[in-house]
Amino acid sequence: MLNVLMLGVGQCGNRILDAINKEALGGGGASSLTKYCLRPKFPSRVETLAVNTAINDLKELRFTTAKDRLHVPNLHGVGANRNVGKQAFMDNRDMIMGEIEKRGDFDLAFVITSTSGGTGSSFSPLLINELKRQYRNITVITIAVLPFREEGSIYLQNAAFSMRELMDVEAEGIILADNQYLKRFSGDIASAYDKINSMIAQRLLFLIESLDSEMLSVTDLGDFKTVMNGGLRIGTMGFYQADRKNPSVRDAIENSLKPVNLLYPANVTDDSARAMIIIQGSREYLDVDEITKEVERLSASAGHVFKGIVVKKGHPKVLSVFTMASAPELEAIYAQAARAMQDEKEKRLRARKQMDDAFAHIEDLEEIY
Amino acid sequence: MRRMIYLAVFILLIQAVHAINSSDEDTVTFKDFTLNIGDRIDIGDYQAELIEIQSVKDGLAVMQVSKVGSPLEDQRAFLLDSANNIDGGAEDGGITITVTDIFDDQSVKVRVEYKEDLGTARKHTSERPRVIADRPNLVVGKSFDKNQMSVGDEVKVTVTVKNIGTGQALNIGTEDLPPLPEFSYIAGYPPKIKDTLDPGGADSAVYVMSAVKEGSIRVPAIQVSYTDSKKNAKSNSSEPFNILINPESKPDLVIKLDPSGPIAAGGKGMLNVSLSNTGKASATRVKIEAQIKPPDGLEAIGLEKSLFEIPPEQEVNYSAELLGKKAGNYTVSLKASFQGGDAAMIQEGKVEVVVQEQEYKYLYLLPILPIIVIIAWMYRRYREYKY
Repeated sequence: MLNVLMLGVGQCGNRILDAINKEALGGGGASSLTKYCLRPKFPSRVETLAVNTAINDLKELRFTTAKDRLHVPNLHGVGANRNVGKQAFMDNRDMIMGEIEKRGDFDLAFVITSTSGGTGSSFSPLLINELKRQYRNITVITIAVLPFREEGSIYLQNAAFSMRELMDVEAEGIILADNQYLKRFSGDIASAYDKINSMIAQRLLFLIESLDSEMLSVTDLGDFKTVMNGGLRIGTMGFYQADRKNPSVRDAIENSLKPVNLLYPANVTDDSARAMIIIQGSREYLDVDEITKEVERLSASAGHVFKGIVVKKGHPKVLSVFTMASAPELEAIYAQAARAMQDEKEKRLRARKQMDDAFAHIEDLEEIY
Repeated sequence: MRRMIYLAVFILLIQAVHAINSSDEDTVTFKDFTLNIGDRIDIGDYQAELIEIQSVKDGLAVMQVSKVGSPLEDQRAFLLDSANNIDGGAEDGGITITVTDIFDDQSVKVRVEYKEDLGTARKHTSERPRVIADRPNLVVGKSFDKNQMSVGDEVKVTVTVKNIGTGQALNIGTEDLPPLPEFSYIAGYPPKIKDTLDPGGADSAVYVMSAVKEGSIRVPAIQVSYTDSKKNAKSNSSEPFNILINPESKPDLVIKLDPSGPIAAGGKGMLNVSLSNTGKASATRVKIEAQIKPPDGLEAIGLEKSLFEIPPEQEVNYSAELLGKKAGNYTVSLKASFQGGDAAMIQEGKVEVVVQEQEYKYLYLLPILPIIVIIAWMYRRYREYKY
């Protein structure tokens, strides 16, 4: 059995973690009452911990137990300031790592964070380093959420610097989710967040369950690690669940790779470096020949593809995980971030000059009372 | 002259007093004496001695009368209450003797009449030892062993004859009245008493009768007849008495059934049975049979019994165990068949027994406990999520 640690850092990470806990309680139908009656049902031994400097963000969580909420005392957050955040982490590192250590040893850790916020974007790189230092054999995957582009220049700036730091740490890989890309699923922002959080939660739990299941065709943590180490070590996930109308496993695989079902806008055929396809469903739907043909077809364009087949009652469900050899959307973000930072810098200079000109009016004058 | 008148009056007075004194000396007086045989009455020169009591029954006593200095010496039988004049009787200067009572064969009461000038009559008690006479005296009695009885009851009649006299009673015979219409004789009649009974001796005989007709009955006396050694015939009778014969007595069983209360299905209960005989006769060969309606759902253990006898005014109590199997109302009927005299009788009793749905103790906790557990669980979970 896999020992899995899921860390939700910052407001975004906390909410995705809360969605994971909700999913473990039964998913979309879970209510506040459900959590009082049922225990979260994780496929493996999963420990969750929500870390935040803003206590109000922690209080908003609904499906995460109190003991799994760790407040890092720093007044009321870090104000999207990554430098303050980093200092807060360093000041409370022992406390944070002590809380994690209490939860035992782990094979796999997911650090779920927003790249744009204050706490998550500043804590996560440092936290991953600490995890890798403390747990020698742990596989650390970062679930990094990119911001809405219109959220502001600071968030874009944070995303840019945070992504760079995340790329530099020793984590096995980054799985990207792009809020900007996913917001199309819902009209308003709040619903979009909930939907995105739920999608990420569903995929992660499916991945954990599959890695810890006896498979018809085996993929395991090692394969997953290999996939995540491919290309830029930045990847994303796709998911599709077939229905009664079209239970074809082949179509399900294809659909799981379509951009509409990905967490991050990518072209699998063109951009992927390595991939893993995990298929789950009733045996009657799992035509191995069809699966193999589809995987081979994917391998021809996407490099190496691991496939795992889990026999479980139901229509076929397919999770695709792949790392990318190129990430043009990221470059666009960095360009946007640079522009935003430049604009910010120019604004500040202009404002400074304006203030200096204003102050010039009273130069050589004294206060008279 | 006056002196002559006074003298004449004085002389007349003296004559009158003398005349009065002369008439007093001629007055006849009497005196009663109780005499035993050998006792004697002396009056003047006359002597009268009681020789014997010839017959108490006939009232004959023999006395010897003599006169000192006279050849009169006469032994004669005196009839009770018959005056006997000696020497012309008291009016003529003699004496008159009357036996006024004969107490027994040893003593009598005698009245002696005489003129006062004979002096005072005195009794001279005989110094001879008294001879105990040979006189049997039988006392007879008849008794029932109970004063009240019922038609059909048997009664023992005891006839007792006892010789309380001093002589042997001979030729003893009893005469009891023929059977009364209220009784039928069963055994022992007529009663047989010994022919002879020595002084102090007694004999009895018992006969058994059965009462056949109710009413208040006066039982007539029984007479015993006998003779003494002198073949004097004597007899004696018992006192009659009353008895009451009640209507024929029957047993009357009253059955009381008292269940311990409602029984829970699957539970046990008790049914207390009381059979009391309020009749006047014993109920015998009592057989108690039970019936439960409807037959399924209630079982009784130890309800049926057989008893040899339940005497009158007594009761028999016992308990039966009831096993409730199915909820419902059940009628437990008890039929007691028994013998009452010659007749077979039946008495019935019934009672309702309720078998309730099985009651679980603290059943109310069943819904409460899970609620408490759920609330506790939810509170615990709430605390787990409370931040």
